[in-house]
Amino acid sequence: MTRVEVRKQRSTSRALNPSYVSSETDNVVHSRRAAVLYGVAAFISLIGLADAIYLTVEHLAGRSVRCTITSGCSEVLSSRYASVRGFPLAGLGAIAYFLFFSLATLAAFGYRGMVNLLTLLVALMFLTTLWLLYLQAFVIGHFCQFCLLSALVTTTLTALVIFARIQKAQ
Amino acid sequence: MKRLLPFVIIVVVLGAGLLTARYMQRASTETPPSTPAPNASPATSTPVQAEPGAEPAHVLGDAKAPITLEEFGDFECPPCGMLHPILKSLEQEYGPQKLRIIFREFPLVPTHVHALAAARAAEAAGLQGKFWEMHDMIYEHQKDWHEAFDVRPIFEGYAKTIGLDVEQFARDNSNEIVERRIFLDGKRAHSLGVQGTPTVFLNGKEVPFESLPPEKLKPLINNELAAHP
Repeated sequence: MTRVEVRKQRSTSRALNPSYVSSETDNVVHSRRAAVLYGVAAFISLIGLADAIYLTVEHLAGRSVRCTITSGCSEVLSSRYASVRGFPLAGLGAIAYFLFFSLATLAAFGYRGMVNLLTLLVALMFLTTLWLLYLQAFVIGHFCQFCLLSALVTTTLTALVIFARIQKAQ
Repeated sequence: MKRLLPFVIIVVVLGAGLLTARYMQRASTETPPSTPAPNASPATSTPVQAEPGAEPAHVLGDAKAPITLEEFGDFECPPCGMLHPILKSLEQEYGPQKLRIIFREFPLVPTHVHALAAARAAEAAGLQGKFWEMHDMIYEHQKDWHEAFDVRPIFEGYAKTIGLDVEQFARDNSNEIVERRIFLDGKRAHSLGVQGTPTVFLNGKEVPFESLPPEKLKPLINNELAAHP
């Protein structure tokens, strides 16, 4: 039997097997759901990107950012944790959000391999967020609303990526 | 085409992000800084690392005025009280297009026992949009309250006179924002090397105390105006 014949036989057996057709449809639906979730995540990451760009510009301009909801913006953003070897931490955040947006967009369009990279990136972002929350709560003793917004965005992105992976795995 | 679409989206977002950053950067540099050095010559400018102070600062006059006077004041210090009418007359003489006045809190604690309470009162009035009214009231009645045992009812009386919500004003005296603003102005004062009050910066250059009388201050302002018409 040639290879072409094998394929023909398989496709015939699929067509004749209703349960297979159903599971293939489910796969399509699940990957569509995953694609939508990646799209939503890409969109939400733009909020984090805008937040991080704002903080980076203010940091580089040497201006103190005013909090309107919390009261610790200048304490947090002028602390020694606000920059890494002279580079503003918010700038690193902007790069991370842009990378996330790129990978999530590619994942939404079905590019293979992006999902694993995206998962790795969001895991790093989430761990960094936890560390920064710890610093605000226990070391600096103040909360900055823009940092809290970023933490909320990262947590949402993490949840969306996990959910999308579960959808795809089902 | 569909395979190219995500890359197009990514490039568009990258471009939009860079443009936004550029726009924000330009907006932040065009916004008049609360530092009084927009027209300062290089030799007279304040240190670049100066703390910004409370933001937004209490400012009278146009942002584009060629002359900026920044006063670090203590409401209880007698020379500050004497400087107040001088600045008022300069404000009227030069007008808001030419002269911008910034007030910074620098209560000398514990030398002046009521200085902090006065600073809080002015800042609390500021929360209701009447900083300058309270500022004037406190300075103009300095002799009335500075020997009082309890200044709170006096300041509450001023609050009533200038039309504040007195209950709100009383609560705002211990408001965190009020404390924070005084602290930030103090930080700015220290970063600029302010030693006492009143300390006045003319376009970023500290005016010697002995040059604060109007007959000496006005020629300095006129010189600056001639240099920055």
